[in-house]
Amino acid sequence: MTRGDFEAMSKASAAEVFAGGGEVGHDLAAVRWESTPLGSPDQWPQSLRTAVSILLSSRFPMWMAWGPQLTFFCNAAYRRDTLGRKYPWALGRPASDVWAEIWPDIGPRIETVLSTGQATWDEALLLFLERSGYVEETYHTFSYSPLRDDDGSTVGMLCVVSEETDRVIGERRMATLRDLGSDPSAIRTEQQMLSFAAAQLRRNLRDLPFTLTYLFDGDGTRLAASTGTDGEIARAWPAEAVSRGESELVALTSDDGEGPLPTGDWPEPPAQALLVPLLQQGGSPYGFMVAGLNRYRALDDGYRGFVELAAGHVAAGIASARSYEAQQRRAEELAELDRAKTAFFSNISHEFRTPLTLIMGPVEDLIDRWGGADAGVRAELEVIQRNALRLGKLVNTLLDFSRIEAGRMQARYEPVDLAAATAELASVFQSAVERAGLSFEVDAPPLPRPVHVDRAMWEKVILNLLSNALKFTFSGGVRVAVRAEGDTAVVTVADTGVGVPEQEMPRLFERFHRIENAQSRSNEGSGIGLALVKELVEQHGGTIGAESALGRGTTFTIRLPFGTGHLPADALVPAGSAATVSATADPYVQEALRWLPGGETPAPAQPVRTERSRLLVADDNADMRDYLTRLLRAAGHAVRTVADGQAALEAARAHHPDLIVSDVMMPRLDGLQLVAALRADPRTAGTPVLLLSARAGQESSIEGLEAGADDYLVKPFSSAELLARVRANVELARLRNHHARWRTALIDSLQEAFFVCDQDGTVIEINSTFTDILGYGPEGLPYAPVHPWWPDEASDPDGHRLVTDAFAQLVEESHGSYTIPVKHRDGHRLWAAASFNQVEDPDTGRRVIVGTFRDVTAEHYAVQRESALAALSVRLSQAESLPGALHGVLEELRDLWKANEVYAAVFAGGVPVVTAVDTALRWEGLPEHLREALRAVREKPLLTPVAERPGGAGIALEHPDGTMALWVELAEKRPFTEQDRTLLALLAGHLGQGLQRIHQIDLQRETALALQRAILGPAQLPNGFAVRYAPATRPLKVGGDWYDTVTLADGRIGIVVGDCVGHGLQAATVMGQLRSACRALLLQNTDAAQTLTALDNFAAQLPGATCATVFCGILDPDTGDLTYSSAGHPPAVVAHPDGTTDLLDQGRSRPLGVHTPAGRPEAHYTVPSRATLLLYTDGLVERRRQPLTTGIERVAAAVQRGRGSSLEELATEVMAGMAPETGYDDDVALLLYRQPGPLELEFEAESTRLAPVRSALRGWLARAGIDTTTAQNVLVAAGEACANAIEHGHRHGPAGRIRLRAAATADYLRLTVADSGRWKTPQPGANPHRGRGLSLMRALMTEVTVTTGAAGTVVGLQARIPR
Amino acid sequence: MSTALSFATAPGEDGATVLTATGEIDMSNASEFRAALDGALSADGHGPVVVDLTGVGYIDSAGLAVLFPHLERVRLIAGELLFPVLTVVGLDDVTTLRT
Repeated sequence: MTRGDFEAMSKASAAEVFAGGGEVGHDLAAVRWESTPLGSPDQWPQSLRTAVSILLSSRFPMWMAWGPQLTFFCNAAYRRDTLGRKYPWALGRPASDVWAEIWPDIGPRIETVLSTGQATWDEALLLFLERSGYVEETYHTFSYSPLRDDDGSTVGMLCVVSEETDRVIGERRMATLRDLGSDPSAIRTEQQMLSFAAAQLRRNLRDLPFTLTYLFDGDGTRLAASTGTDGEIARAWPAEAVSRGESELVALTSDDGEGPLPTGDWPEPPAQALLVPLLQQGGSPYGFMVAGLNRYRALDDGYRGFVELAAGHVAAGIASARSYEAQQRRAEELAELDRAKTAFFSNISHEFRTPLTLIMGPVEDLIDRWGGADAGVRAELEVIQRNALRLGKLVNTLLDFSRIEAGRMQARYEPVDLAAATAELASVFQSAVERAGLSFEVDAPPLPRPVHVDRAMWEKVILNLLSNALKFTFSGGVRVAVRAEGDTAVVTVADTGVGVPEQEMPRLFERFHRIENAQSRSNEGSGIGLALVKELVEQHGGTIGAESALGRGTTFTIRLPFGTGHLPADALVPAGSAATVSATADPYVQEALRWLPGGETPAPAQPVRTERSRLLVADDNADMRDYLTRLLRAAGHAVRTVADGQAALEAARAHHPDLIVSDVMMPRLDGLQLVAALRADPRTAGTPVLLLSARAGQESSIEGLEAGADDYLVKPFSSAELLARVRANVELARLRNHHARWRTALIDSLQEAFFVCDQDGTVIEINSTFTDILGYGPEGLPYAPVHPWWPDEASDPDGHRLVTDAFAQLVEESHGSYTIPVKHRDGHRLWAAASFNQVEDPDTGRRVIVGTFRDVTAEHYAVQRESALAALSVRLSQAESLPGALHGVLEELRDLWKANEVYAAVFAGGVPVVTAVDTALRWEGLPEHLREALRAVREKPLLTPVAERPGGAGIALEHPDGTMALWVELAEKRPFTEQDRTLLALLAGHLGQGLQRIHQIDLQRETALALQRAILGPAQLPNGFAVRYAPATRPLKVGGDWYDTVTLADGRIGIVVGDCVGHGLQAATVMGQLRSACRALLLQNTDAAQTLTALDNFAAQLPGATCATVFCGILDPDTGDLTYSSAGHPPAVVAHPDGTTDLLDQGRSRPLGVHTPAGRPEAHYTVPSRATLLLYTDGLVERRRQPLTTGIERVAAAVQRGRGSSLEELATEVMAGMAPETGYDDDVALLLYRQPGPLELEFEAESTRLAPVRSALRGWLARAGIDTTTAQNVLVAAGEACANAIEHGHRHGPAGRIRLRAAATADYLRLTVADSGRWKTPQPGANPHRGRGLSLMRALMTEVTVTTGAAGTVVGLQARIPR
Repeated sequence: MSTALSFATAPGEDGATVLTATGEIDMSNASEFRAALDGALSADGHGPVVVDLTGVGYIDSAGLAVLFPHLERVRLIAGELLFPVLTVVGLDDVTTLRT
């Protein structure tokens, strides 16, 4: 056979094997089989041929492996579904090459098949194939089964496979979308919604390795949710396309230095992310979602669609959450409005109670008195009565609301036969319904268990519903039914009335909501009845619903749970007496009757009103109780029953029956003891008692009556007799107790809390307002001291002390009032203002205390705020400087809060400046926690109290230098309440303004003072003068006072002190002009009187200058001669060295500008040697409630005392000594002169200068009036000092200068000789006679000092002047 | 210019030489005073010299120093004005107070 034949045969043979394989068969045939272990197809065993044939003919995806290398075959279906780009390369290759990437997964399986001959089965196995140019996530369900050789040995395997990638991924994505849509709660907040969505997305980390949800937020974006990562993934996501509503694909690289990417469920992180917008219907997108894409799947339409749908879910969720939040806000606003409305009405309602009481009482009286006389009058009165009843009913309903909302509704849930109770209530309406021509059906078979209800509330529920039914029903009827359904009792009230339109149903139970245009028997109605019913039913833990059809009627269904688990345990009470319909029903029925035709005047023959008496029957015999109850009810009385005397006593205290019918023989407390106990208690002392006894005989009757019983009936008795006695006693008691009932009604209608105490302070009676304010009701009476509303001694010692003091006042004094802190039963604190009186009980003669109080909590805190503000203002106004003000205010704050310390730190850049009350620490010295607290406060907005840390509170405010942080360090455990915060903010606001104001005043004051000083007085005074000026201290202000000295051409000196009228800059300006004028005139005139006369003319033309006072003098300093004239100015003072005083009170005339007919006078005076002349303005001496002369005497004495001081010292002493404690309240100018002025010489250090210096000194000593001997001593001592200065001080250098100064006081001469040299220590050995100079000085002078310094030597000489 | 001071020498009543000074004596003219006193002392040989200071209004330690070396021969006459100073420096025992 030729090679060509062989090949042809092979081909023929191969073609045969692969026939029917279509394209795959064709490609298989093209494989070079010869180079495989299988060899040429025509050599293949039959088994292989068969297997290949089966494979190729199957339309189910299959592949197979044969032979030692497991050579790969597959069919067309497999090629299509799975093989991808590996076709046709894979054909004929070893299977381990073909599926190299998954060989670790499938190799062992194939091995198992080959070795055991057992087939394998795998379902939806995840395999990462690389058949499309990338590693791809795929799922396959497959079975490997063994292929056997012709001889039966296993040589290969066949894989039947179905690729399920699309199904698995599709289902996975569907699950995610389904979960996203499965939010069980319909509505959530945006954040909850996002969290929920994130939780769902997080469950699919294969399709969504990570997601980031960004929301557009103002100008930026904010990350609102994320999955697959803990937070932000730091990439700059391009938001441009998504903000236009378009998706954008972003390539991700993990090596760009921005941190690793989360990988989701995969080993490698996503290579791409898809940004999809969160679209908003009809608006720009809410934001966008970044979806990290599964790198093992291509982003095909399915994948993209999935991501967009997921984002769509989130967007829809945001839309609904936002719209829900908006609705929620609206609903809350509406609810708030409702509450405000209720609060308003209930406040008003309270005010109605007193006038209503005062209408109802007299109307009833009038009906009793006049009703019989005139039907017309009666009808009118009944109109009043009915409307008052209606108003009362409305008021009570509103008060019920406010009680419920304040949590003050004190319910008492007792087990009740609900069917019977409801039927009885319904029966009240029977006649009204029937009179309306309607049928009335009550279907109330007994329930298996009692239901716990508060009887009063239940009455209101049923009566409201019945009244409602009657109002809206015109034909058909009303049906009341009671049933048990499982764990609930169901009560339905159904009518066949006009029904409620469907759109109104949701608002049926809303307060103040009325259905407009509904046909009804009356247009009256407030729209709160059904709302109250709903509240009351909910108080019982029940529900109420309504069904209605327009024109067919309405059915209300109430469901109340059996049992007590749903009710507060402390509100449960044991079963009370038999059900009775209370007086509450009256207004309902009365109102309903009036809607009915002919109902305008209810039949007078059967008045339904208050004839019904409330009786309490006490008997231990049940049969007797039943009999009495039947008998008395039949007669129209309301009956409550108890089984013994103790129960009767409690019931009497709680319910105040009109009459007690009691058996004498009873357990626990017998009838006589009951009567005694009732009479002993002021609350029940007036309750009539009818005793029933089997014991006949006069004695027992007397015994009973003596015990205080009102009547006595011996068994057996006829029913008629019993009823007659009951009626008589009730009537009698009514008459007798009329005022008592009035008292009760009035006291209960009081706006103020009312209480009665016995002598030791035990509270024995209270009214309803008392209970409203304090939360303590009459059931707890008597309240013995210490009363439960006292503040706790341990936690509130101050409050406790206040109350203790007030209590002492209460029990000891005959009347008084006090304001105290008290504690409401629920623990909140309030302030009560009480006033009380001691009165004598007219019956018992005992002293009792009657008091009332108001809740003044709001006022108390307002007063506290006001007084704190006032105190703060005082501190601020008293302060003379910014630091002073701050310190004062801190002290005030500390006292106000009884704080340990109050700190203020001003942050003005640099180290904060700290102020505190007692502590004098700088910032660095403060403990770290305080610095931290102050820094934290400073960071907060201004004027916003910060009380986040325990032990203190702070606030930031504006200080003129910067932000100031204030920190109040509270005493231990002192809480910082809401009121404290308000107060702190208020005070801080005022403080900030106050500090600012003081700062401004400071600035103004400094400016004014600088101005005043600038225009005041000569800069250089002549010798011998001292001057002072002081502005008024408080309020600190400058004025118009001045002093002046003018040296005239002839050496004389003009001296002027003046005082312009007024204060402030205006006066200072006038002063400046007067002063200048006076100066110029003096230089011209050299005559005091002429100068003043000329000044008169000037002042007449200068506004504000008239009436200024001026003292003007011309002094010859050589002789002390003074000519002077005074224009209305206080006299100058001259203090002589011998202690006597002269007043220069001559030469006086009127103030400037005031007409002076005779011309101004002039006087002459000679100032003696060493006498001191004082000129001053009245501010120095004028004091309130003191004559001017007293002040002048005081200042003269002051100058006298200081005659030994130097002039400057004296000026200071006088200013300080004369100042009032609080400073000058007027400005003061002062001028001092002492004759002669000091001698001041300066000369060259030459011995030839000694003689002229001596001569000058000799002349001055003569002017100073010094005796010859003393003068000579001084001359020698001074001469020695000068000689020393010449000789020692300047021997080594050019001649310096020597200064000699001599001054006199009354008793002393003081001289100084100063040079610029340095004295030598005397050395008598070297130059024996020179040392004598110093000894000579010491011998001649009282005191000699030699001070040698760097600048030279100063010799001080002092000599006492002998008298 | 030194301080004004003049001298006159004449025989006294008891044979002593009398030096009469008129003016003021201070450090500027103490040398003149010394010259005058030396003249008086040498003219008389060993007899006493009376220095009449009645006409002197002022003498300081420089002037007094002229007197101290010659106290065994010098007697002083002084008025009330100078006497306290002479007393202070211990010359009162050689001084006659002329009132």
